[in-house]
Amino acid sequence: MTYIGAEVIISPLGRTTAENWAAVSANQSGISLVKHAGFDNSDLYLSKILDLVDDYKFEKLISDALTAVSAQIDPGILISQRTVVIISSTKGELDKDINDPFGKSIAALVSKFSLVNQPIVLSNACISGVLAINAASNFIQAKIYDHAIVIGCDLISDFVVYGFQSLFAISDKPCAPFDASRNGITMGEGCGAVVVSGTKEIFLNGSFQLLSGTSANDANHIPGPSRTGEGLFRSVKRTLEINDVAPDEIDFICAHGTATVFNDEMESIAFDRSGLTNVPLSSLKGYFGHTLGAAGVIETAASMQMMRHGTLLKSLGYQESGTSKELNVLSENVAAQPKTILKTASGFGGGNASLIIRSL
Amino acid sequence: MSFITTYCHISADQCSVNGKAVSARDRAASESWFKQIYKEQELVYPKFYKMDSLSQAGFLASELIKRENKGLTGRYKDDEIAMLFANQSSSADTDLRFINSYEHNGAPSPSLFVYTLPNIVLGEIAIVNKWYGENMFAVLPKFAPGFFADYGQILLSTGAKAVLCGWLGVLGDNIEVFVWLVESETNGSLNFNQENVLKLSGFNPA
Amino acid sequence: MENLKEDLKKQIIEQLNLEDITPADIADDALLFDDGGLGLDSIDALELIVLLEKFHGIQVVNPEEGKVAFRSVDTMADYILKRKS
Repeated sequence: MTYIGAEVIISPLGRTTAENWAAVSANQSGISLVKHAGFDNSDLYLSKILDLVDDYKFEKLISDALTAVSAQIDPGILISQRTVVIISSTKGELDKDINDPFGKSIAALVSKFSLVNQPIVLSNACISGVLAINAASNFIQAKIYDHAIVIGCDLISDFVVYGFQSLFAISDKPCAPFDASRNGITMGEGCGAVVVSGTKEIFLNGSFQLLSGTSANDANHIPGPSRTGEGLFRSVKRTLEINDVAPDEIDFICAHGTATVFNDEMESIAFDRSGLTNVPLSSLKGYFGHTLGAAGVIETAASMQMMRHGTLLKSLGYQESGTSKELNVLSENVAAQPKTILKTASGFGGGNASLIIRSL
Repeated sequence: MSFITTYCHISADQCSVNGKAVSARDRAASESWFKQIYKEQELVYPKFYKMDSLSQAGFLASELIKRENKGLTGRYKDDEIAMLFANQSSSADTDLRFINSYEHNGAPSPSLFVYTLPNIVLGEIAIVNKWYGENMFAVLPKFAPGFFADYGQILLSTGAKAVLCGWLGVLGDNIEVFVWLVESETNGSLNFNQENVLKLSGFNPA
Repeated sequence: MENLKEDLKKQIIEQLNLEDITPADIADDALLFDDGGLGLDSIDALELIVLLEKFHGIQVVNPEEGKVAFRSVDTMADYILKRKS
């Protein structure tokens, strides 16, 4: 069995997990209107950590996350030779060194925390976070490592903002996943972390079972998802099969829900093909924005917080169904004790990934 | 038991398959080295011209491997070939071009932006082959044969029957591309392990 | 008008990085997004929006407008003249 715990969230909603939970459970959003953020100098809605003023922001965030993680696990784990750190990110410290966006910050992390093994950076667009957590579990089940600390982190930069603007993908209002009026993403930045281990005793605050999953490519189109949701459908199908979980055992889906017209439509089709349209579902992008490489980790961490606090968060921004297959999107918080949560992610390059968290 | 059955090297001046040279660069030519290989090898895939350098490198190497390894595509189901790639500079080559488009060329270019992620090359290979399997792209400080041996083996024991592995060092004229195919249901002579990956790569162990 | 269409063809080739194609290869009424035309895709459509801004100072705010306007060099030229008047 693989365990997951010690979750950390750093976002515009707070520098600690507790601050973040207090905010999201009150349905507050980290999204704000940022002046002159666009290429055309336009004001844009972004989920930006406004008081992040360090010179090396990426390095600062992953370091803070690792500090927060280490306070929640056995002290010896961090420096153990049986521990690996896996970083999930799309652009790292891009603004400081475009030729080597990860080198300096990873080296600083190794040095500051005396890490024994070279951290592995996974860069698979928006599925990086879920992929990294699955990879962590795979390493542990193969007994290559016993513990893995997964940190997902991405920053808002002109580079990424201008890029998404060139695709006309940015919403002119705070994003509304799965909603009929949705018209694009709201970019976000932040850092999430979780610890994955074969030993539940290392967790000082309890843990969950990680039923790690699979990823699958759409083999269709680089920046757009498959119209039939083929890759996401295959990923979810295999994740359920290899873990012997039936669709009706899923209590909640923490979907990807970026709020583009195409992504959310594709997800609805994939979930319909998987027999999951009745399962309570939310996208967390209305709270955190789309944090790219960090999304899978931040949102898995938030799902774990939902399980700890017995609350399923509503899908912020949703009012009316806007997908051809109607999903059970939560428009209010729900008091519940979910036993089994499915987390999914989809991204550029045709990637799709999924995993399951189960209470012990 | 799994074996390295086919491999391709591309350096700044040479392209070889299973150790045999197949293309040599003509530095006097106006077109890029990768376009030279594409034309010389008589590959036909018009979308090649839209790809960035990283994707072109991965595409060329995988096509040459397929050509050398006859029957490859029919041997496995559409989700049984996994892809495991890595490099040190991520998508820096294209990132620089994208920045140039908005800093000096008037507006951010969407066709460049979509390639500013290193995993896109895996998407391109998946599209041309209709491969629906596992993909992973890692950014590592240097070529790490141990990483490929470890995670390649994990992929083979969790559903994949073959893994296309690749190190795509593509930054300007610094080209160090090594792509190799590991198969678990075909006999070969080269065991898939860290030592053999390093030896075959021709890269410095340091 | 003929100059505009000729210029457009050159700009399309440059902006879209079209390989081995000259302006003579692009008929005025060829359907750009058809396989028989230039086989352009949705990302190319977004590049055409950049082209309009860069070479003609025209801003396309809604990419949906592009679907109709960019069908061929003829329709693009019409669209440009209409926007400029």
